[in-house]
Amino acid sequence: MDKKTGAYLCQGCGLGDALDIAALEKVAKAEFKLPVIKTHACLCGDEGVALIKADLEAGAVTLPVIGACSPRVMTDRFQFPNAQVLRANLREQVIWSHPAGDEDTQMLAEDMLRMAFTQATKLNAPTPWKEGEFATTLLVVGGGYAGLTAANEAVKAGHDVLLVEKSAQLGGSARGWTKVVPSDPPYREPQDNPLPALVAKVEANKAIRVARNATVTKTAGMPGKFQIELSDGSTHLVGAIVLATGSRPYDATKLGHLGYGASPDVITNVELEIKLASGKVTTKNGQAPKTVAFIQCAGSRDPAHLPYCSSVCCSVSLKQAIQLAKADPQTMVYIVYEEMRTPGQAEEFYRAAQDAGVIFMKGKANKVANGAGLTVTVADELLGQEVPLGPLDLVVLATGMVPNSTDVDAPAQEYGAELLNPDINPYPAADESYKPAPIVPTGGPILNLQYRQGPHLPMLADGFADSHYICFPYETRRTGIYACGPVRRPMDMAETADDARGAVLKAIQVIANAAEGASVHPRVGDLSYPKIGLSACTKCRRCTVECPFGAIDETEQDYPVVNPTRCRRCGTCMGACPVRTIAFDNYSVDMLSSMVKAVNIPDEFDEKPRILVIACENDAYPALDMAGIARHQYSAFVRILPVRCLGSMNLLLINDALSGGYDGVVLMGCKPGDDYQCHFVKGSAMAKERLSKIAETLKSMQLEPERVTMVEASIADSARLPKVIDELVATFDTIGPNPFKGL
Amino acid sequence: MTAPTPSRTYDLSFARYVYDHIDGGQRLKLCMQCGACSGSCPIGTQMDHGPRKLFMMIRAGMKEAVLTSNTIWNCVSCYNCVVRCPRQVPITYILHDLSALAIEEGYAEAKKADNARFAKAFWWSATVFGRTDERLVTARYYFSSGLGEGIKKGMANQAIALAMVKTKRMHLGMPHKVKGVGELKAIVAKAAEIQARHGKEG
Ligand SMILES: Cc1cc2nc3c(=O)[nH]c(=O)nc-3n(C[C@H](O)[C@H](O)[C@H](O)COP(=O)(O)OP(=O)(O)OC[C@H]3O[C@@H](n4cnc5c(N)ncnc54)[C@H](O)[C@@H]3O)c2cc1C
Ligand code: SF4
Ligand code: SF4
Ligand code: SF4
Ligand code: SF4
Repeated sequence: MDKKTGAYLCQGCGLGDALDIAALEKVAKAEFKLPVIKTHACLCGDEGVALIKADLEAGAVTLPVIGACSPRVMTDRFQFPNAQVLRANLREQVIWSHPAGDEDTQMLAEDMLRMAFTQATKLNAPTPWKEGEFATTLLVVGGGYAGLTAANEAVKAGHDVLLVEKSAQLGGSARGWTKVVPSDPPYREPQDNPLPALVAKVEANKAIRVARNATVTKTAGMPGKFQIELSDGSTHLVGAIVLATGSRPYDATKLGHLGYGASPDVITNVELEIKLASGKVTTKNGQAPKTVAFIQCAGSRDPAHLPYCSSVCCSVSLKQAIQLAKADPQTMVYIVYEEMRTPGQAEEFYRAAQDAGVIFMKGKANKVANGAGLTVTVADELLGQEVPLGPLDLVVLATGMVPNSTDVDAPAQEYGAELLNPDINPYPAADESYKPAPIVPTGGPILNLQYRQGPHLPMLADGFADSHYICFPYETRRTGIYACGPVRRPMDMAETADDARGAVLKAIQVIANAAEGASVHPRVGDLSYPKIGLSACTKCRRCTVECPFGAIDETEQDYPVVNPTRCRRCGTCMGACPVRTIAFDNYSVDMLSSMVKAVNIPDEFDEKPRILVIACENDAYPALDMAGIARHQYSAFVRILPVRCLGSMNLLLINDALSGGYDGVVLMGCKPGDDYQCHFVKGSAMAKERLSKIAETLKSMQLEPERVTMVEASIADSARLPKVIDELVATFDTIGPNPFKGL
Repeated sequence: MTAPTPSRTYDLSFARYVYDHIDGGQRLKLCMQCGACSGSCPIGTQMDHGPRKLFMMIRAGMKEAVLTSNTIWNCVSCYNCVVRCPRQVPITYILHDLSALAIEEGYAEAKKADNARFAKAFWWSATVFGRTDERLVTARYYFSSGLGEGIKKGMANQAIALAMVKTKRMHLGMPHKVKGVGELKAIVAKAAEIQARHGKEG
């Protein structure tokens, strides 16, 4: 069917008053010769929608371009079966952010339409990728509280599960413990461990296949089609993977300064847990200890050891201290802490420990000496002096958690630097005093990914497996693989169970979407995927290296090959490709470049500069919409081009803009770098990188490098961005008009 | 029973005695060392430790330092701290009962516990006359630290005393008594008896 673009211009929401609608119609008619051009007093009303629908059904129009409100609103109204729809943002980004009835506002509206009508000529309906069979089984790696919960929940939702556990038994760290931190009101008494019941439930479930003493030796393929090989030689097809490999205690042999190793009566919280489970806590003399000190943050929150808070050890010490104090009220139990951190409901548990007579000493434990009994030297902040605490019968080190984001027991492999996923450091670079060690995976990879970007899951600083743990929990940077429990951040069992449910929901979603050829978060439901024109490809490998999600592999001949269900549709590959041979059906460098060129550039004597703002759709574009909603005004000389991610910005766009006479180009996107906010993790960082290389090109064009700049924008910036835009417009003004204007 | 004297820091024997024998002591376990009490205390600047730190010293087993502290004597019973304590520790009661303990165990006689002597003089006047007699209370308090010291203090405050007499704030001559001093004495005796009984029971 031939493409027939129709223009639908809304006069509601003040558009009819602020703009000369007839002049807009003229753009559609005279410049674009559109077959159908209609206006309506309220397009989003039933009548307006029916108008568009009737044209679509009659075949008069195949692609409506709606000049009205932002594409971010009224999406339910302007949605028609089997039809692509384009929107020109005349409300939020034109009449709400610029004066009504103004010449420049009108020019902006007309250019908005020109960009949209041009986009229409380049837009094709995407054909989803759905080749072959899609698996619905879920692979859960790790049989601790997280993995067991995940398996159980996945089955409840109708999926079969393959549960792979490295050890001989299910249960993980919490196996064998009698009591756990309370998760039910009134949160005062240690509760029975819920683990045994869960293990029994999983073992009795026929839909869960448990592989014990097993690890994953190979993971190939992509969501919906992962090919798994286990250490027992068996192979499996799974749709998605939940990583629940938990954590291991911090190596206490590194805590010699706290007396570990000096006496058998200096033990870790894990060792005490085992003693408590045996029902008998004794010291080396076989006696029940009469004086016990817990030392908090043993190897945690310490740059020399684990820099982070392990989150559970405070509550765990409360639990263990209460157990000891209740077993014999004569026992003197001390908790030496610097900060008592009791997430969840454990504050009440802290009071219960005080009630039980446990003494809390605030201060750093500097030293543990072994003489006639053990003595802990505490810099007691509450007394304001250093005190010797002792003689003690037992000292318990509250050690923290180290994530099992690698398999420490597997031999480390030699990788090329590009396969190590050198990674994002979340600490602001400004804080020079604190530099965590570079992340080099210890041991072997857990999933052994057969990916171009290496066998490991990318890690955050401190070795946790995750992408963005606030905004996009569970999502690793390998689509279809979701992490839960302490492998992604330290947490207790109650949080772990919630986490497992979250990860399973993500996994189920990817299984469903992959089978439909649709993307997952953040472009949920997008059916397009990048297609690479191999005839032009120079095998430069930029796409395979830059893809934030490792979606592109290489053939034996070094050609890139996209694994469509791994792809998140950010377009970073498209932005990276120097020969621009990567395109989506509905998104391409050609499309964006044509839109840039569609804008009318007045000549320099008109004194109407034009500034191209390439705005990321995730934060910058909505922030600009919100600026309009709040009626913040900014220069009408800007032309805003939305992109999926700044990563999809190909340098050609800047070239086209400047050679076409724009006076400046502004890239507006999420914060790149260590503490990134980019929805595609690395997209804005890649854009920044590309930009750093453009200065030479500009100089060779006899242009000032200041004509191209990057602005970090977050969703909260709606009041700031208008000011930033006006300042930039003023700066470009002092640089003077682009000499290429009118050429 | 006397309170145990710990031989090492953070021996809990003294703290446990306080929990069990001092009025409001059980609640002391819940003190979370926030410092709201010391921060709220109008007399805070006149205290060597303030309630917050004093309570930690109890836990640390610093019996002598606690019972010779001026914190327990300088409290004026305003109850600011009690109202503000997030853990509902009856701070004022605890301080007063600690002063009683200090007297009982002889810590108040030490030179430092100046206010203990004042409190005694006050108590003497209150129980003997049923009211305070400024002149006698002051005199008794001044001379409680010795004759020389008493004369010295009296001379130093002469001007104030004269001014008070002039403005009829201090009364010379025979002390006024309340009616029925005998009944008052009986009440006090009964109270002492009850306290002694309870003290033993804990
Ligand atoms: C001393 C201590 C006491 C605690 N007490 C409490 C408490 O009272 N209450 C509470 O809520 N939380 C407590 N926690 C926290 C609690 O242990 C964790 O939140 C919980 O166990 C996490 O469960 P998980 O399944 O994610 O990890 P784990 O329990 O660590 O399980 C991970 C599983 O994965 C397996 N595995 C690892 N690598 C691989 C691999 N490569 N392939 C296959 N399988 C693999 C492991 O063998 C293990 O079975 C405590 C923690 C500690 C250290
Ligand atoms: S939970 Fe408590 S003991 Fe553990 S690292 Fe955090 S502050 Fe330290
Ligand atoms: S860079 Fe983005 S669009 Fe390209 S393959 Fe990777 S995820 Fe997909
Ligand atoms: S206000 Fe209460 S809880 Fe806070 S330090 Fe004083 S007694 Fe303790
Ligand atoms: S009651 Fe005593 S300790 Fe409490 S604030 Fe008043 S004077 Fe200070």
